[in-house]
Amino acid sequence: MNRKGALRVPQDKLRAERKMNMLSNHKIRSVVVTIFLGISFFSFQNSYAQEIDPWKLLKAVDDNLWSNTKIISGRLSVDNGRRVRTMSVDTWMEGLENSYSFYKSPAREKGTQMLKIQNKLWLFTPRTDRKILIAGHLLRQSMMGSDLSYEDMLEDRKMSLSYDVILEKWEDVDGVRAAVLYLTAKDKEITYQSRRVWVEAKEQVVLKEERYAKSGKLLKRVTFEEYKDYSGRLFPKRMIFRDMLKNDTKTIYHFDEIQFDKDIPKKYFRQSILKR
Amino acid sequence: MILQAAWKNFCRQGLRAILNVLVAALTLVVAVFMVSLVNGFQDQSSKNLKKTDVAGGHYRLAEFDILSPTEWEDFVFVTPPELKKMSSDEKAEVLVQQGQLFPQNRFIPAQIRGIDLEQSLLELPLGSLKSYKGDSIPAIIGTKMAKKSNLNKGDFVVLKWRDKYGAVDAREIEIIETVRFVNPRLNDGVVWLGLKTLRDMTRRENESSWVTVKSNQGEIKELSFLVPDVLMKDVIELAKHDRRNSMIMWIILMVLCCISVFNSQMLNAFKRQKEAGTLLALGMTPGQLTKMFVLEGSFTAVGAVVLAFVLGIPFFSWFQTVGLDISHLKDSTIPVTENIRLVFDPKQIVNCLLTATLMIVFASWLPARKISRIDPSRALVGKAF
Repeated sequence: MNRKGALRVPQDKLRAERKMNMLSNHKIRSVVVTIFLGISFFSFQNSYAQEIDPWKLLKAVDDNLWSNTKIISGRLSVDNGRRVRTMSVDTWMEGLENSYSFYKSPAREKGTQMLKIQNKLWLFTPRTDRKILIAGHLLRQSMMGSDLSYEDMLEDRKMSLSYDVILEKWEDVDGVRAAVLYLTAKDKEITYQSRRVWVEAKEQVVLKEERYAKSGKLLKRVTFEEYKDYSGRLFPKRMIFRDMLKNDTKTIYHFDEIQFDKDIPKKYFRQSILKR
Repeated sequence: MILQAAWKNFCRQGLRAILNVLVAALTLVVAVFMVSLVNGFQDQSSKNLKKTDVAGGHYRLAEFDILSPTEWEDFVFVTPPELKKMSSDEKAEVLVQQGQLFPQNRFIPAQIRGIDLEQSLLELPLGSLKSYKGDSIPAIIGTKMAKKSNLNKGDFVVLKWRDKYGAVDAREIEIIETVRFVNPRLNDGVVWLGLKTLRDMTRRENESSWVTVKSNQGEIKELSFLVPDVLMKDVIELAKHDRRNSMIMWIILMVLCCISVFNSQMLNAFKRQKEAGTLLALGMTPGQLTKMFVLEGSFTAVGAVVLAFVLGIPFFSWFQTVGLDISHLKDSTIPVTENIRLVFDPKQIVNCLLTATLMIVFASWLPARKISRIDPSRALVGKAF
């Protein structure tokens, strides 16, 4: 073997080395691009998260749900695990303080009326032809055997005013990306001292809500289904309430028809309306 | 002479007299039994209520009513220093709150009752609450509540309640014991906790629903003192009712007994009209004749009293050894779970015997009055009536 021969690199080896270099360059480029895209995606996510002010989001949710007046025609289905009882009810609401409900069916509940003025609630049943004042601790009792208490039903505080809020995380709810807001009560008199609300940030609507005991135990879960545009306002077609301490029970409030900001005559919020 | 004649006539009646005496004696035994049984029930229930709940009375707000659970939380008070300073064998602080129990995800309304674990005034089987060393909230329930909620010793169950400010709270509690209470009112629907635990849970520092005391401590500002008779009003009323019912029963029995005596006397008068006519013809006055017949009837009453003692004493002695089993009433709210023993009240017994004697004498006097008015000449030929 001569010296020249010893120094010469075979042509096929050179070709192979060049190919290897090209491949590694390509790999490096791919990794850089991936990292760049990843960083861009996460920074986009972060900037999106940072852009969201949880309190403003909660306020927007409140503003969407609450209006000066509301007229609702709906059905309340109470499923106690053994049978389902459906009541159809019309409700007139004025602000947060006043509301009047008239139960149309079934025959047993027909003519039952509920009037709420400020923090007092009167129940009228045609069978007894009497109005009963439900106040104080009686408001904590179950409403018509449902998973809701009168207090739950007549909730008259906006969440954005009653709770401190933080953006906890982002989560998928049935395929929809939602901001998870954790709410802590500002006042020790608030029934649920903490809540967790899943909000679809773009449309500013609640998808799910959980209410907790002071100890942090989950008590109630409310899911909001099938949002529909009612004259510029998004409102769910169904709200499903579940008492998480009970098995197989749920109460569904179906909103069949809703009218916002319609004039409601004053007579709807006077005690004189409670009669047969 | 009249007394001897009356005694001879009474003995001559034979089986009829014996039956009359026996019926009257049994009526007396039944009357004393019924009255003493009601006494026994009242005595036992009062004793049970006093040793487990009432003691010498309660200090509480006037508006507090144990039968209005939705208002329990409104009528609590901070235990005043006059009561606070009392020793643990003289007072027991109690806090009662509304709660909800969720055994196996079912819902059961519950009365959460917190009691001072240092107290020794009331006899309650809650010692394990004091000696509990675990990390959970320890609770004790009665056997009746355990059966209703399907909970056993060592089970964990969710308890939901509201604190002083209305915030809802729920936590798992541990059933560390299921106990038998002699007073079912402390059993049905009640979840027992230590007072401190319940006060912490509800943020009601130093607050009580009532304070049970050994004796009246005089007037305390803003609080009412309820004496045991007021606290046991329902039991006393129930006993009063029972006493009234047993009295009606006894009157019915006595009337039947008197009818029997009256009937015998009428038969006597009819059968012995010739004898009566002869006695009147021989110079006996109508008054003496009446006296003789009434005395015959009175022997029935006296015989009944004597026989009542003869029959009653062994029967009552035996009964006191066994008592009346009322285990079938264990699901009711009657605060007695033991067998009921008779409690005799001498005054009641004397009253009972005297009333029975007078009624029998009266029943024998009515026909005797009639026979004293007969015409002796017609009576001698058997045509007086």
